[in-house]
Amino acid sequence: MVSLLKTTIDVFGDIKVCRFAFISCLYSCLLFFTYSFSLENLCAQENSECLECHTDPAEVDVKVRIDHVTGEVEIVSMLVDADAYHASAHGGEDFYCIDCHADLEGSEGEHYPNLQPVDCITFCHDDPAETFLEGSHANLMRKKGVELPTCKHCHAGEKSKRDTPRVDNLYHRMDTIEKCGGCHAKYYHSYRNNLHGQVTAMGHVGTDIATCVDCHGQHTILNSSDPESTLGPENAKETCGKCHPGASDSFIKHVAHPQYKNLGYYKSAMVALLNIRKDPGQVKSIIKSPQIILTILFVMYVGILVITFAQFGTHMLLSWLGTLLDERKGKELEHDK
Amino acid sequence: MTSNNNTILRFGLFHRFGHFLIIISFFGLVLTGMPLVFKEYAWARFLYNLMGGYPTAGNIHRICALITFLAAFLHFAFLTFETLVRKNRNIFWGPESLLIQPKDILNVLGDVLWFFRLGKRPQFDRYIYWEKFEYLSLMWGTMVMGVTGFILWFPVQSASLIPAYVATFIDLPSIALVAHRYEALLAAGFIFSIHFLHTHLLPENIPVDEAMFTGRIDEGHMKHERGAYYERLKEEGQLEELKVQPASRKAKFVSKLMGLPLLAVGLLMVGFMLSSLICSIVFVIADLTKNINFDIFSIFAF
Repeated sequence: MVSLLKTTIDVFGDIKVCRFAFISCLYSCLLFFTYSFSLENLCAQENSECLECHTDPAEVDVKVRIDHVTGEVEIVSMLVDADAYHASAHGGEDFYCIDCHADLEGSEGEHYPNLQPVDCITFCHDDPAETFLEGSHANLMRKKGVELPTCKHCHAGEKSKRDTPRVDNLYHRMDTIEKCGGCHAKYYHSYRNNLHGQVTAMGHVGTDIATCVDCHGQHTILNSSDPESTLGPENAKETCGKCHPGASDSFIKHVAHPQYKNLGYYKSAMVALLNIRKDPGQVKSIIKSPQIILTILFVMYVGILVITFAQFGTHMLLSWLGTLLDERKGKELEHDK
Repeated sequence: MTSNNNTILRFGLFHRFGHFLIIISFFGLVLTGMPLVFKEYAWARFLYNLMGGYPTAGNIHRICALITFLAAFLHFAFLTFETLVRKNRNIFWGPESLLIQPKDILNVLGDVLWFFRLGKRPQFDRYIYWEKFEYLSLMWGTMVMGVTGFILWFPVQSASLIPAYVATFIDLPSIALVAHRYEALLAAGFIFSIHFLHTHLLPENIPVDEAMFTGRIDEGHMKHERGAYYERLKEEGQLEELKVQPASRKAKFVSKLMGLPLLAVGLLMVGFMLSSLICSIVFVIADLTKNINFDIFSIFAF
């Protein structure tokens, strides 16, 4: 035993052997670390592993999904368009599939079909979710018993809900108008009736034209009577001033949602006129609003249009007829001669 | 000028140039502006993108508006020159005037009688009553469109012209938008249907009344169309002064080449606008009657 120790010391006394031992030790360390990192990667399940099956139409198929909020049944493809995914807000290098599909962590190969719904709020997006869920918009929905939408209801990609669009994504901006308009039909139509809505209806939804969220706020949707609202008396100048520099006190009084094409507006005006003796305040509030001038102007122009075209249309038809009859008469006279 | 030729100068070069400017700017304005009115329809989106999409179409619209202003400026400069320098009073009163005269009312009544075959068609002077109406509505329309267009062009500046407490009742940009949109519908609809049908597509002039392009009119045609004017010129001895060489074949060809496509585009626009309007009205009626559940077979219940 002692002799063995002695030979060991002797061997390590040699510099060459010592260096060899050191280098081999270093290499083994390096190997170990690289191995352990790759093991960690294996645990983290690189996106390529998911995409291996999820880009192959032979491997994955469509699936019936039932929205757990609205109960809507839809058929979704489980195929992932890698380019569309990488272009989306969650398509960066440091995002992994299992970050969101957390219940698949550690699973390998084929996994069970029905995953848990993705939780956007708890770990990542607690801030916008809180402002939305505590805003007056969500509160009013709760009060009226309307089911609150999930994040994915609005933040859905063009082809698949998975491709969460970026803020300035043109499809997302167009989709937002339709999504808001799905519930707020009255305001959707009046928005389309105004200049912003006309241009967005032409297919141009760049950031230089206001959609719903540009004025009303994205997650903090507050009633305009709220002082913190983007369209409240304090912030409206700033909100309008984003696109219209120098927006003044009178500019922010703009009627962004004119009601003159809304049949409900005329109905309510008629009801108010019928109840004028019982409740004169109703008529007064209608007369005091700036909508009344627009409505009068609109009705006047419709009248002018109808009268002009009816009158000149008749005039034109009669003069055509008259000319043709005169021509025939002239020919007959010539013929008689 | 030889006395045996029978072509009369109806419009001078200045007026023809003005009409040309108005044609160019009007078509530019309508093609870039009208899609925004019929925004729900696919043809409008196609046309808007054909004209260059959002910023480009708007810029074309503004350039055309400036051309219209140039034409209006030239017209008013002409009027001022005629009244102040030439001391020509005929443009405001008398048979040569484009303003409504007492005789026009008689002409309208005479024409109504002629429609119902109760009399002969009255003899018209230099401008027929519907031409006067077109001219006056053009003046009115240009003014409305100019003012409202400028408000829409500079919404912030025009809104700050009025104090804030008035702006709560009178919202200038919104009023301007309503007026601009429906005045545009009126103008485009009027020009593309009534003006085209009344001047170019009349049985006598079909397909294009070349008088505004070549400036010349046939003596026989003029005698038939504007008898009183012809007789008046003959009496006053001005007829010989106005006689010119007939339009060359080239000028006639060019005016047809320019007129026919414009006519086609205009009529196409009217077709689109009218069909869209009918669709919209049908939608409104469907919306109104949505809640009425009228069972047609209930009449057999008795």
